[in-house]
Amino acid sequence: MKGVARSGISRVPIVILTLALVMLVVLSIHLGKREGANREEGGEIVLVGSGATFPQPQIEKWIDLYTKRNPGVKIEYTGKGSGGGQNDFKNGLVDFACSDPPLKEDLWRELEQKGQPLQFPVIIGAVSIVYNLPGVDNLRLSKGALVAIFLGKIEYWDDPMIKELNPKASLPHKKIIVVHRSDSSGTTAIFTTYLSIISEEWREKVGAGKVIDWPVDKLGRGLGGKGNQGVAAIIKQNPNSIGYVEFAYSINENLQTAFIENRDGNFVAPSPETIKSAISRVSANVPPPTEGYKEKLEQFLEAPGENSYPIIAFSHMIVWGEYSPDKAEVIKDFITWVLMEGQKDENIMTGYVGLPEEVAEIGLSAIEIIKPKP
Amino acid sequence: MPDRRRAKEIVFQAVVAILTFSTIAPLLHIIFSVFVEGLPVLIKGGISFLTDTLAPPSDGLGGIGPAIVGTFVLIALSSLMGLPIALMTGIYSAEYPRSIIGRAAKILLQIMMEFPTILVGLFVMELLVIPMGSYSALAGAFALAVIMMPYVAISTEEALKEIPRSYREAAFSLGLSRAQVVFRVLIKMAKRGTLTGILVGMAKVAGETAPLLFTAGGSERIYFRGLNRPIGAIPLLIYQLVQQPYDNYHQIAWGASLLLMLIFLGIFIPTRLLLREVKF
Repeated sequence: MKGVARSGISRVPIVILTLALVMLVVLSIHLGKREGANREEGGEIVLVGSGATFPQPQIEKWIDLYTKRNPGVKIEYTGKGSGGGQNDFKNGLVDFACSDPPLKEDLWRELEQKGQPLQFPVIIGAVSIVYNLPGVDNLRLSKGALVAIFLGKIEYWDDPMIKELNPKASLPHKKIIVVHRSDSSGTTAIFTTYLSIISEEWREKVGAGKVIDWPVDKLGRGLGGKGNQGVAAIIKQNPNSIGYVEFAYSINENLQTAFIENRDGNFVAPSPETIKSAISRVSANVPPPTEGYKEKLEQFLEAPGENSYPIIAFSHMIVWGEYSPDKAEVIKDFITWVLMEGQKDENIMTGYVGLPEEVAEIGLSAIEIIKPKP
Repeated sequence: MPDRRRAKEIVFQAVVAILTFSTIAPLLHIIFSVFVEGLPVLIKGGISFLTDTLAPPSDGLGGIGPAIVGTFVLIALSSLMGLPIALMTGIYSAEYPRSIIGRAAKILLQIMMEFPTILVGLFVMELLVIPMGSYSALAGAFALAVIMMPYVAISTEEALKEIPRSYREAAFSLGLSRAQVVFRVLIKMAKRGTLTGILVGMAKVAGETAPLLFTAGGSERIYFRGLNRPIGAIPLLIYQLVQQPYDNYHQIAWGASLLLMLIFLGIFIPTRLLLREVKF
């Protein structure tokens, strides 16, 4: 009877449970080993970061290069958006975060309750104005025309305002499709801040932000895409469209990129040279690492200089002033490497621009501040 | 007259057939395109695609080892957490269908089954991630367990209820206690239904992304490091990779998609085969 009853019990859940339990035991042993190893001299040290997706490819590349040179260090970076990184950092879930916009003052004060936050630029990006007009290369757009297109005031590509700027181009009599981000986006914030600087009408009617009400949507000529990827895809699929994406995307997706009128009245397209030219004129505006909240997007847009591209922004890294002794050493070494070796041309990904020396210095001054926890 | 009826019949059947096909067409398309795009990646990447860590942007295929290990660890761990509770819940609501707890459990389980999974992730983040101070395998598995449980519990309950009453009576007449009846007789008879629920639950969580976003944290360069550390998962990796403008990342994502589909089908197809033969 007993034997019969035993075989009556379903074995499947028991088998699964047993397997899972065995696995758990193996895992805990593994875990114990790892923690033991951490305490040993030369054990593996792990740094975890999260945040902006814009610098992610560049950061992945740095991590790859750095960890190959330093086998005892493992670094993991998860792209989840600037806001996500700021939250993770605030909650102590990561060792460092990356954010495109500089931190706001209220978050900064909140962080200061827990320790000294340090913020410094690690890489430069730009916003490209991209379009899809077969046969029309090197489209030139004045500030007025750019604003008018995004306000929806210009309806057709062969509008006199555009024609005047591009007399040789064969502009079609087609409606302009304006593509923008549908999700909350730092790129949108940079671009709309720029539009607000160059146009009073834009500032009053539309304004700047991560998400805004696009006037062209009401006219039925606006399309939203999720992420840079989404915007790039829509532009590729729709002739006669125009939109904005990060520089890395316009390069890697091979999109037609417009020449924009800069502060000095010249027409420039984004490139490492034009972006560096702009940065060199505004780099004095970067605050010291201990006062990161003082940085504003506006300070870097519409920079002077005849060859300066007007829509640029920094992407920042945020770290603490104190770490456990083993981590402090590693994070200092990693950041120093990023700001020195990492900024060399051969270690910079296509579509990104390395920091000029005087800006890298700001980050290096942050390294001095990082101390091991007593 | 009969001709018109027959014509109507034919038209109706044709419409139903076309609609049926258009319902399953997306599935066929997905399977087809994942194979076409993913298979060359797997072949090109070879074994190292399964064992290596993530490649840097536009530099080769590398591998997705940490994500594969992560997915299996998460499935095992969430099963360990969720299955015992879910089985007990299913048995309870089958045994005491009229009790307040039994009735409430049934309704709540059905709500749980349709509950937006991203909210489960947020809940677990508040509950585990922030207090623990790190994304972790534990938190990811817990979120997945919450998602898995209603599938297992409901199918256990239904399988138990389908057993004809006479078997239960026969068991009692042998002098067995209630616990013995349930655990030694009925569960065995409800094995297929229960097992189906377990496998459907596992297949479901194998492909989940949303609940892991705020809990598992992701890990593409570092293999499993312990229950209290961040862990990768294949769906999470795919989600990360397709957002970047690099061709090799998109290729890795296709390869990972094919692997994920194989894991999913590997759990799911046996389930369907099991379901086909029902016997007491």
